[in-house]
Amino acid sequence: MSEKELGKKWDRCLADGAIKLGTGLGLGIVFSVLFFKRHTWPISLGSGAGLGMAYANCQNNLRSHYMLHRGDKQRGSTQC
Amino acid sequence: MATRIWPVMKLATKVTIAGGAVYVAYDSGLLGNSEQGSEALQKAKAVIPPAMEEWMKYFGVEAQLPTIPKIEFSPVDAWNSGVQWTISNLSEAPTKATEYTSQGLQYLKDLTK
Repeated sequence: MSEKELGKKWDRCLADGAIKLGTGLGLGIVFSVLFFKRHTWPISLGSGAGLGMAYANCQNNLRSHYMLHRGDKQRGSTQC
Repeated sequence: MATRIWPVMKLATKVTIAGGAVYVAYDSGLLGNSEQGSEALQKAKAVIPPAMEEWMKYFGVEAQLPTIPKIEFSPVDAWNSGVQWTISNLSEAPTKATEYTSQGLQYLKDLTK
């Protein structure tokens, strides 16, 4: 992976993390106000879930460069 | 009859609002992969300034928001140059230490003469 490509992936990871954190926070606030009598735990749960989703996306993105995808015409030497 | 329906109506309204919020988040790509998330961010960046202007006109506020200054600082370049500077100084450190030591010893010898 070139350094430029890696840099772009990290930028996307950070942006995605911010978006998912915000979305989780927002949905947590909505659920907390509507169903859970303004307790804090739905907000924490939503934020944590959002961060976790961002982490998983980032992990997949960074690993995808080294994965063999179905339909690739070139096969690596690891194949027996 | 009305007293029985009212809690059900309240619950139905709450479920509709919560479900709508989840659906909007899902539909706009906020819960998808990182490409969808960055697309949603670009869309939001494009939409916010005209929306802000409209709201300001609606409320009759004529003040112009200051434009965000474009900072030309690149953290990646700064970090890279910092690493290069550190490593080159570390590699020259033994030579320089020997030089400064010999200069210091020479100075002390000159003082004692």
